[in-house]
Amino acid sequence: MPDRSNTIPSHLRFSWVRFLLAGPGAIAVTLALLAGMPLWLPAGAAGIDNLVFPLVLAPLIWAALFFHACLDRNLMRVAVIAGALLLVHGGLIAARLLPHPVAHEISR
Amino acid sequence: MIHLDKDETKAMVAVHGWSGICLGLLLYAVVLTGTAAVFAQEIGAWAAGHLNSQSAFEAPVDARVRRLSEATPAQYRDSLNLFEVGDHGLGAFFHRDALDAKGMPTERGIYYQLDHGGRLTSTVHGTSEEVFGPHNDDALSSFLVDTHVRLHVPNPWGLLLTGVLGLTMLVAAISGLLIHRHLFKDIFTLRRNGSPVLANRDMHSVAGTWSLPFAFVLAFTGSFFSFYGTIGVPVVAMAAFRGDVQALSEAVYGNPRKSDPRPASIGDLDRVTADAVRRTGEAPTFISIEHFGRADAEITSYHQPKSGDLEPVALLYNGATGAFERAKPTVGTRPSAGGTLSGIMGPLHFGNFAGILSKAIWFGLGFAMCYVTYTGMRLWVVRRGQDTRALAWLERTLTVVGFGLPICLLAAAAAFLVTMPLGSAVYWTTGGFLIAAGSVIATGVVIRSNEALTRTLKGTAGLIMIALPLLRLFAAQGPGWSEAIASGRPMTPAIDVGCILMGLWLVRAGWNAARPAHRDGTVIGKGVRA
Repeated sequence: MPDRSNTIPSHLRFSWVRFLLAGPGAIAVTLALLAGMPLWLPAGAAGIDNLVFPLVLAPLIWAALFFHACLDRNLMRVAVIAGALLLVHGGLIAARLLPHPVAHEISR
Repeated sequence: MIHLDKDETKAMVAVHGWSGICLGLLLYAVVLTGTAAVFAQEIGAWAAGHLNSQSAFEAPVDARVRRLSEATPAQYRDSLNLFEVGDHGLGAFFHRDALDAKGMPTERGIYYQLDHGGRLTSTVHGTSEEVFGPHNDDALSSFLVDTHVRLHVPNPWGLLLTGVLGLTMLVAAISGLLIHRHLFKDIFTLRRNGSPVLANRDMHSVAGTWSLPFAFVLAFTGSFFSFYGTIGVPVVAMAAFRGDVQALSEAVYGNPRKSDPRPASIGDLDRVTADAVRRTGEAPTFISIEHFGRADAEITSYHQPKSGDLEPVALLYNGATGAFERAKPTVGTRPSAGGTLSGIMGPLHFGNFAGILSKAIWFGLGFAMCYVTYTGMRLWVVRRGQDTRALAWLERTLTVVGFGLPICLLAAAAAFLVTMPLGSAVYWTTGGFLIAAGSVIATGVVIRSNEALTRTLKGTAGLIMIALPLLRLFAAQGPGWSEAIASGRPMTPAIDVGCILMGLWLVRAGWNAARPAHRDGTVIGKGVRA
């Protein structure tokens, strides 16, 4: 296979990375936050804040991730922030769902 | 003001334009039907000729509910939902929790409909998804709401689609705010002496700027409602409750109480509704009874927000005695930030927190959003149409959808008015919409000039609007103005007058569009390039 990476204009490659981060990336991170936030948000007076806040704020979380991916000049920073959010919340969810007793202790 | 540099502004202009042009036509359909749905209840009452103004909960309900409970098999007497249907009739859904064919939580039971006099008019068995379909006298309002909520696409795909449209509107609203270099100047800039397109661009900008906060709120709350049950609840329940959606629902909405399954007669519901009216100043919109016929039964009465407040009111009563226990938030067992936040989402989206005034404001701003969506797409097309004629089909599609969709909705209303007395309104309301859609598309294909097409569609919409009050009076045998006002239904003549005035304005606009100055495409092109 010939290496075509040099033939693709840099602005196009730049756009595709941004597109992936703003599109599927923002959706994936939003879903991870939606599932993971109830595990660390305070439950509040009625014991439901940790469940309700992610549900209500999901559209705004997605919008924040989308516009960050569109506007930040430093694509590496966008990728690092999105990746970190994904990893932390993915880890929390995995720790919660894994049957291992140590995982339960971590999630608590 | 947020100041972006040139490249960032260019990126935002691209995001703003493409978000609108990719899904703008569907977004226009959702916003237009949502604007009409603000008054769905009033439009439904207007079209069906409703005359009762007393709530079903201000009439005696206790004896009616006891009579229905005796006729209901014990397996469905676990819970009961009471709400208004039709002309202030009573809907009663006796049910128990169940799982549907896909294993998803639902409610199964018997749904009774009673008219305002307490006579049983309908009995339907099934799950909540099966029994709450449109009926002959509410087919029009159901059609409007269903179009807005899911564009008649089966769930969950319909809700997902409108959720994506909500996010698109959110993107358009935020990017629209970011690309304004002179926000406050733009609010008041209308260059009427410039070219027609320059004036159109100013009007798009002014209408868009004024309605930006509204667009943001509508998009945010709308996408919340669309994604809430389809994605939000299952995903949140996945980790927090290991996928148990029922457990999440119980945690958020349940009334935890010590279980007492001993049989006990339900408390006096008339006393409960009278007390609820006394405490809140208005009749309940919905009453839920959990553990009906048991000693641990609980009655929750839901009400619109109090004057000057945004959050709906809920009152909790002891089900066995009918004694008032406490006011509770609509979400959660005690007041909390999360409960308040989710409680105000409905009133913010529906605009029903301050009666007819807030509804009128929401209707007006919704109309402004329709205008902004349509003119935004049109400006995008006209600007590019100067360079290539390849977008002519898009311009034609815009005209067909922009003016054709209101015609289809008006035709659905006309079909409802003609067929409701025959008992076939559920079928023909949708049928009228589809026939009109086919006719509009055919007109769009046949008429060569876009200006002539616009003129024809405007004129047709205006004529149907003028005809609607006549159809209501003579085909649907609806009440006259004096009878409606005497019955406490001032919205009936108000909607008639609105239809006639709007119809005359559209006919006049269609007539004016025939004048040569309005057909000069060169002027439009120059204006856009300027």
